[in-house]
Amino acid sequence: MSLTEGRLTRADLLKLGGAGALGLTFAGPAFGRVLSPQATTMTMLTWSDHYANDQLAAVAKATGLQGRPTLFSDNADAFLKIKQTGSQFDVVSADGLWVPKYVKSGLTEPFDLSSLPASKQLFSIARQFPFWKSGSNYMAYPFSWSTVQIYYNPKYVKTKPDSWHAILDKKYAGKISLENIPTDMMAIAGRATGAKKPYDMTKPQISRAKQYLKGLKPNVLKLASQNNEVVRALADESAWIGITNLGTDDRVKDAGGPVVKATYPKEGTVGFIDSESIVKASKHKDNWEKFINAMEQAPWIAKNFITNGRPLFNEAAYKLLVNQGHGDRARRLLYNKPELALKMTIKGPAGDQQAYIDAFNEVFGA
Amino acid sequence: MEQQVATSPHALPPAEASAGRRGSRLSGLTQYAGFIPALVLYGLFFLVPLGLIVAYSFWQTVDYEVVHKWTIDNYRYFFSVPTYIRTMWATLWVALAATAITLLLAFPLVYWLVRYVRRSLRTFLLVLIVVPFWTSYLLRVYSWLNILGEGGAINRFLLWTGVTDKPVSFFLYDRPAVILVLVYLYFPFAALTLYASLEKFDWNQYKAALDLGAAPPKALLRIVLPQMKAGIVTAVIFVFIPILGEYLTPQLVGGTRGVMIGNLVVNFFSGAQYTRGAAASLLIAALIVVLLVIFRKSLEVEDTYRA
Repeated sequence: MSLTEGRLTRADLLKLGGAGALGLTFAGPAFGRVLSPQATTMTMLTWSDHYANDQLAAVAKATGLQGRPTLFSDNADAFLKIKQTGSQFDVVSADGLWVPKYVKSGLTEPFDLSSLPASKQLFSIARQFPFWKSGSNYMAYPFSWSTVQIYYNPKYVKTKPDSWHAILDKKYAGKISLENIPTDMMAIAGRATGAKKPYDMTKPQISRAKQYLKGLKPNVLKLASQNNEVVRALADESAWIGITNLGTDDRVKDAGGPVVKATYPKEGTVGFIDSESIVKASKHKDNWEKFINAMEQAPWIAKNFITNGRPLFNEAAYKLLVNQGHGDRARRLLYNKPELALKMTIKGPAGDQQAYIDAFNEVFGA
Repeated sequence: MEQQVATSPHALPPAEASAGRRGSRLSGLTQYAGFIPALVLYGLFFLVPLGLIVAYSFWQTVDYEVVHKWTIDNYRYFFSVPTYIRTMWATLWVALAATAITLLLAFPLVYWLVRYVRRSLRTFLLVLIVVPFWTSYLLRVYSWLNILGEGGAINRFLLWTGVTDKPVSFFLYDRPAVILVLVYLYFPFAALTLYASLEKFDWNQYKAALDLGAAPPKALLRIVLPQMKAGIVTAVIFVFIPILGEYLTPQLVGGTRGVMIGNLVVNFFSGAQYTRGAAASLLIAALIVVLLVIFRKSLEVEDTYRA
């Protein structure tokens, strides 16, 4: 190399680049070790309300297991991600009937729930969901639940909308906000139109659900990409009605918004029971129980409730909330009634997912 | 010439000639070595994924499984459902309107910068144009919710001035809001491209046109704009093409009336319908390729004043 002449030839540049790349490759792990001594990364495919950054930091400090979350919105999306890149994840969050689907597809594996000390903090009913039992093992660690119901602003909505059909009224044009989750919206539309199994509708039922959504569309202000957008729309009063999870009233209030009230449609509703599972192809399966056990401790779960305001399955956290003076709020949001979770239509995979997405797109396209 | 003689097999003993040929071939290959990183990058991160998308678009999704069974059903579906055709037209219309408005706003600014602003100040103003890039795309779109929303800056101003006694909702969650935000997002691309094109313009030609009796608008139209053709086409490419694939802006500010084709594609992917999503993506890509071919023809700039 003729650097003394002040000129760098292409060959020199390539050699230097190659040497640099090799150097970085070898030096990288060494630096990694210096920066995080013996930390094992637990990659989580999850929702944003399943963890807090200070919680991850504390768990990493206590266990040497650093949680690294990747977010998803729709169960179907997460399912396919795990299917295609399973070994890149250690923990996956899933709703209700998606959990057996994961196990049946060989993507997650059941475990002995009682081997996790934190499981003793759970409501007993959460340890016995029939659809999560696999012999003597359990398919997932229960986390939280919520119904999806109608929240309305009584300042503008004078008559309580106690039916899914009540929100089709033209006076609500452009005043309803809901999350853009096609499968669940189709299931709600199925509920509205009398489908007994809204996640497993037949073609005529899908067609009726589609007609319902067509009627609803002019009233929809926006299909929100995240739940906080629904809260925001209710808070700034651009939306009068929100189709959303339990605890929205508190979150709207926290955002400086008006009083909004919840109502349960008489046709019934859907809801979620969510959880954490072991990814079968995970490279850190041995650390899963230790990690989840640390993540699911009552103080963190109580904090999670205060932040996200929907019931969780940790009974010890409920008692902690009562002791901390949050009992009224917890009871109002049904934290003390986990048995109600089994009364709703639990979210799960659609029987004919393609038909659900097609129908939804055909309604909400231009 | 000397090199030819030196590598000629007739001029050297057979062993040396063979070594010479190898050396020549090697040196012929090494001159392309610089392309290797780009080739690897392009191949691995563009051609391979593109190939996969093409394959997916001809496969099926059955019960959350991508089944490797060849079919044109995904394409047939899009052409048989009017919603997708309508949404594609709406997307084209939005892209066209946003591009036109962006260019119409960018041109006077660039013209003013080049003609009337002294060079030292010009750099500062150009930096101001790209300042929005210092914040994230998402943040820039979100900020418009605070401007256009019912509790936003515009409504507060209208309430304060007494123009209205209650917040007006039509600024947000409709197609005009999408166009407005897209214009804001893509304005720097158009402005910088047009600036680069206009900066090189020889203004003596414009003055000559005025001296010969042309009115300023006519001189602008007949002398300046034709010579900016390449810059304008490039600006159109930089603005129009990315807008065709937009989904976040319509998602956040468009509401149900401002949906673009990208939003429907996202629904396919988030709903695990990768094969449908792949076909829809390729249809958009095909449209973009067609448009690029058209634009490419426009970029073949000829001498405008050739006899």
